[in-house]
Amino acid sequence: MFDFRFYEIWRSEEFISALLSGAFNSFWLSAVGGMLGFCFGLMLAISQDKTVFWGVRYTARSYIEIVRNTPFIVQLFFVAFGLPLLFDYQWSFFASALLAITLNFSAYFAEIVRSGIDTIDKGQLEAAKSLCFSKRQTLFDIILPQALVKVYPSLTSQFVFLFLTTGLVSEISVEDLTWAGRFISDRNFRDFEVFIVLTVIYILLAWLFKLILQGIKRLAFPWSVNK
Amino acid sequence: MSKWYDDFQVLKDIDLSVAFGERIVICGPSGSGKSTLIRCLNHLEEHQKGSITVNDISLSPGMKNPEKVRREVGMVFQSFNLFPHLTILENCMLPQQRALKRTKAEAREIGMRFLERVKIPEQSDKYPRQLSGGQQQRVAIARALCMEPKIMLFDEPTSALDPEMVSEVLDTMIELAESGMTMLCVTHEMGFARKVADRVIFMDAGKIVESSDPEAFFSNPQHPRTKEFLGQIL
Repeated sequence: MFDFRFYEIWRSEEFISALLSGAFNSFWLSAVGGMLGFCFGLMLAISQDKTVFWGVRYTARSYIEIVRNTPFIVQLFFVAFGLPLLFDYQWSFFASALLAITLNFSAYFAEIVRSGIDTIDKGQLEAAKSLCFSKRQTLFDIILPQALVKVYPSLTSQFVFLFLTTGLVSEISVEDLTWAGRFISDRNFRDFEVFIVLTVIYILLAWLFKLILQGIKRLAFPWSVNK
Repeated sequence: MSKWYDDFQVLKDIDLSVAFGERIVICGPSGSGKSTLIRCLNHLEEHQKGSITVNDISLSPGMKNPEKVRREVGMVFQSFNLFPHLTILENCMLPQQRALKRTKAEAREIGMRFLERVKIPEQSDKYPRQLSGGQQQRVAIARALCMEPKIMLFDEPTSALDPEMVSEVLDTMIELAESGMTMLCVTHEMGFARKVADRVIFMDAGKIVESSDPEAFFSNPQHPRTKEFLGQIL
């Protein structure tokens, strides 16, 4: 039987603080990236509409396809190492990670929101038209609230899934939770224990996100919860 | 006026004029174009040939501002099409606030007035899914009336309802007819037609086959297609 030695982690204050700050960084990278990605994804989803100028529509479509069909690590390296060459300006790796996460999340969210918009019954649009809603009012007052509630469970699970992939930002030495695990196991050589601890922390964070997202749903769409 | 869906002509040389205050019932077999006809009147569908004039506003294919005519015309749909994410009262208020730029207080007052008129003010804080079909359709009528239209279009308003709920919607429509509203109703409720219609129009295969007052329509239909139709549903 393998001899677990978790105290090899607990005994060092340095390790514990690495784990805590790693968890904190992972959390807020995903939280902020998720919010920004959601806003950008919403714009991408809206710009898929047939009435939008075709140039914008196809640009958005191509963007979504490119992001969804390339690995996150490639996108991350592109943002962290490619963009600075193009713009001749070096951001911090943390900013690059946040940007990469935002861009990555947005394409997945866009696709989900778009599918929600597509499920809205045509009758809703006709009612809105017959009541003289403008296109913009129809979108924001009628379509989006219903579409977002419909796809909210998919958005939540997609977000949690994407959150779990953000460990890759440790590859550009952003000090997230995965980076902290690597940092510790490189020093105490207790890889198995370290990654068990990481697993538990990732699960806890995923739960926390789900709880927060449930709360947001209650606040933003009270009509969907209220029986 | 004529209309095509691609190569298929749904409406063939429709010639119809409706006087202010007139109540018209349009009936006919499914696919005869009756719904399409009234949907052309508020530009939910475009016609391709001929002209449509509603309250001196002429409609044209691809017109830029159909809102102008939609402001004059209220519409009630077969499937109610209430906004599920808004309460009953909000359903009545939001269109007023958006299209007519009424204040929230005004919209609320007018909304409640019309909900009282369709006899469901007590449901105002509920959501559409919590109401029966008949109640939902009455809300849809109230919602359209809040915009104070000059003309009301009804597109099979009772076809999606349980038989028991048909009468509460028809009663609301009769009350509306008696108040002098100009109405065009696509319906198979012949009792309603007999009671309130000034004219009954029978359509078949995109044409108006027969148009007469209800007495003559029911007792002495002229066209063989009308006779056959009435024979089947009466």
